[in-house]
Amino acid sequence: MLRLEAVSVAYGGLRALDGVSLDVAAGELVAVVGPNGAGKSTLFRAISGTVVPHAGRIAFDGADLLARPAHARAHLGIAHVPEGRRVFPSLTVQENLEMGGATAAGRAARAELFARIFALFPILAERRGQAAGTLSGGQQQMLAIGRALASAPRLLLLDEPSMGLSPAMAEAIFDAVRALRAEGGLTILLVEQRVGDALAACDRGYVLEGGRVVLHGAPAELAPERLRHAYLGV
Amino acid sequence: MNAFVEQAVQALAAGLLAGCLYGLTCVGLALIFGIMRVINFAQGDFMMVGMYLATGLAAVLARLALPDAATPFVAALLVAPVLFTAGALLHRLLIARTTGLRGGTAAHQAQLVLTLGIALVLQNGALIVMGSAPVSIVSPLSSSAWEIPLRYDAFSTLFLNQGRTIGAVLAVLVALAVFWLIGRTELGKSLRAAADDPEAATYVGIDVARAHRIAFAAGTAIAGVAGGLMVLAYPVQPFVGTDFVIIMYAGVVLGGIGSVSGAFWGGMTIGLVQQLSTLVLPLQLQNAAVFAVFVLILLFRPQGFFGLNVERA
Repeated sequence: MLRLEAVSVAYGGLRALDGVSLDVAAGELVAVVGPNGAGKSTLFRAISGTVVPHAGRIAFDGADLLARPAHARAHLGIAHVPEGRRVFPSLTVQENLEMGGATAAGRAARAELFARIFALFPILAERRGQAAGTLSGGQQQMLAIGRALASAPRLLLLDEPSMGLSPAMAEAIFDAVRALRAEGGLTILLVEQRVGDALAACDRGYVLEGGRVVLHGAPAELAPERLRHAYLGV
Repeated sequence: MNAFVEQAVQALAAGLLAGCLYGLTCVGLALIFGIMRVINFAQGDFMMVGMYLATGLAAVLARLALPDAATPFVAALLVAPVLFTAGALLHRLLIARTTGLRGGTAAHQAQLVLTLGIALVLQNGALIVMGSAPVSIVSPLSSSAWEIPLRYDAFSTLFLNQGRTIGAVLAVLVALAVFWLIGRTELGKSLRAAADDPEAATYVGIDVARAHRIAFAAGTAIAGVAGGLMVLAYPVQPFVGTDFVIIMYAGVVLGGIGSVSGAFWGGMTIGLVQQLSTLVLPLQLQNAAVFAVFVLILLFRPQGFFGLNVERA
């Protein structure tokens, strides 16, 4: 469904991604792990279009994604839940979800999608009329995921959904990710700092370090000692 | 005593009428500065262009079969599509180069210089084309008034200039239309989303460059319409914009940055203070009174009347 071939991104002279190749098949949950500054968020930004690679190809359903402007990619079925949640603070919960649901697919199935979002995160239904900026961090994360789901995506990019949350809240968010996976029909690319949980839940994993893929494969192949090497260099 | 009450009522009415027009000009700037965070020094000059355009359109319309009384108002409203188009083009060709996903101080400095340049070009262009003599729309309504007897005695009367009153009512209607557009429609919500977080807005499929262009064009159009309504009461000359641009910024800040309806009340406050101050202060101190009150209000409410307490991400 998604294929990156030798994608390189540089900020100024700084190399953030260096020839990254990655495949995601329909229905898979693929985890991307790696230390801070490994290029995980840049990888997501390259897919959703807010950074432009200087080399490489990105194909989504066989179509050349780099030929599409960033704002058009949501309409192709790619929903990006950015790091740090980034809900629209002055808009209400309901309006945030409506903005997410402004794609053609989202409009067509709005009632159904909203019902599914509210079933997954009942607190959002209670807080519909509240400004998103006044929600707690965990609730904002739920809203950010809900906003992405409202677009009826086929590919969900989840960037550090548990970052900055209390352990209990992080667990709740992770449960929601597992539930989404269990529902099926959705392809998920996940960046997560809780490496153990991420690898336990995924079909395949990629380890990114210094902008390169240093390791990839089924969770079993990503043995702890090799991971430790990638993270700690020992 | 009765004479003072009559004066006070008269000043209050004048303040309300001026406040409605100031309010509308502030709403225009609120879209550009309050929401899209573009520092626009040319906003007053867009208004000046609207004033000239409305006088010209009124002269053309006068030859058609429209009733005399209606021409200045139709002319003012017709300014909107012209300046919307001009604003959209200006944004696409120039302003957009200073905005985009990368905001911050560098963008603001570039906007400052750019819009100051646009202001100078508009002012001096108007000087070349229109000359320096003030012009206004001559309408039968601008010299006639509704006389409302004040009931507390037999002779005190409130005079409401008909041209100004209808202008103020239209200003309120246009402002209400803008509130509805921003608050209730999908387009308005997408503009607010793009202002809140341009990157996240891109992720939900909003074309942020287009959203900015629409907001800028709408702000320009509103400035033009406000100018068109203003020119019935306030003659236009090429540098009239500088009189107003400071009032606009004060109104937007007073109302609370980011709040479009707040900006209207900010402008209204300025109109009221300006007119009511003439009861106790010499006319020349009008604007001094405005800024004294401005400072006082911000001392007690730094975020303005309707400022968002929510931190913008």
